[in-house]
Amino acid sequence: MTVSSYFLPASVPEALGLLGEHGPELLVIAGGTVAMPLINEGISLPGRVMGLRRAGLDRVERAGAELRVGATATLTQLVGQGDVPLLAEAASRTASWSVRNMATVGGNLFTPPPGGDVATALLALDARVVVAGPAGERTLPLTAFWTGFMTTALASDELVTSIIVPLDEGRTAFLKFGRRRANTPAVVTVAAHATLEHDRVVSIRLALGAAAPHPVRLTRAEAVVAGSSLEPAVIDEAAALAAEDADPVADAVASDWYRRRMTGVFVRRILEQLAGRAGRDA
Amino acid sequence: MRIQGSHRFTAPPEAVFAAVRDPAVLLAVIPGCEQVAEVAPDEYEGRILLRLPGAIGSYRTHVRLVDVEPPVRAGLEGRVEGAMGTVDGRADFVLAPAGTGTAMDYRGDGRIAGPLARLDSRFAERLAGSLIDQGLRALDARLAMEDHE
Repeated sequence: MTVSSYFLPASVPEALGLLGEHGPELLVIAGGTVAMPLINEGISLPGRVMGLRRAGLDRVERAGAELRVGATATLTQLVGQGDVPLLAEAASRTASWSVRNMATVGGNLFTPPPGGDVATALLALDARVVVAGPAGERTLPLTAFWTGFMTTALASDELVTSIIVPLDEGRTAFLKFGRRRANTPAVVTVAAHATLEHDRVVSIRLALGAAAPHPVRLTRAEAVVAGSSLEPAVIDEAAALAAEDADPVADAVASDWYRRRMTGVFVRRILEQLAGRAGRDA
Repeated sequence: MRIQGSHRFTAPPEAVFAAVRDPAVLLAVIPGCEQVAEVAPDEYEGRILLRLPGAIGSYRTHVRLVDVEPPVRAGLEGRVEGAMGTVDGRADFVLAPAGTGTAMDYRGDGRIAGPLARLDSRFAERLAGSLIDQGLRALDARLAMEDHE
């Protein structure tokens, strides 16, 4: 079976209508950078496909204290926005120019590990996901979006329409470790957002990508760091907890052992970066 | 493809074992399950629709319970078949009382054939593990809900 129908709706209501009409066997794609390689390889064999590129979901706009990122905004658009430097950096470290021109922010939420660099940054930024369905819109925190490896809380008749990023004050950092400098899948990705008062950490969000079934918050490491002044002993403990909490899978990029080990190393480095200290070797 | 894992249920082993043989329960808790019917004693057929990023597939499933020792252990032999390939395999689970609940241990082996086999087997194992975990969590929630009714 090959693709027999391709739909290109011009609005969200039209897209939801098509989804309702054709049911859950309609494959929904945006940039197609996840789906098309699978289809071309003959691994994925959808009969009907709906592309969201013309559905009017590609805007990136500031609205008060939030950045609203349309689900089909490309990673290149994220690189070009100046409101959230962490997102620009995460997007710029993802894949290549040609892929970034096609890949979308919404699609990055569905990219299985070791993908999902932008999703990891969004998690550190406490982003929310706006989902549209037959009953209207609902918004859920990104922490509740993923339910397992390649599975999400999205119902079969729903679409992700936008991602809302709070423009909180604070320091941010993003570290991606791959086998090459550019255009490389991650061994591990770490993103952080912290607010500090006179060198004391008031609050911190640490997100880990590529070393878990989906991007996850490192809550035990966060709890150790919150309230501290990022002393070396605190950083050591947080890095050790992060490595313990990683749940990596082995693939052609790295073994699970190595990913766990690098989780500790890169959580240490990102905390040292937040503290304004040069990184030490692990 | 090899799978193994464990799960804790708040319900006792008898309730967990009965639920695993109830088509209505299976329909409700298996991710993407669209139909299931008992075609012979301890033999089930069904259809599962998997919606994954970039891939959607409908799978016919045929599963038979074997070596049944209620409420302690059973094996599941079967075949999952769709346009993306087939999985033939067997899984075994053991239930043990744990406080007022149940501890389940399971392990299984599957042979993947067809286009699906082009995926890294570690990828398929992780996906299978995730779907099993989701199903067992749903089963636990359903049994806990029944207990409160």
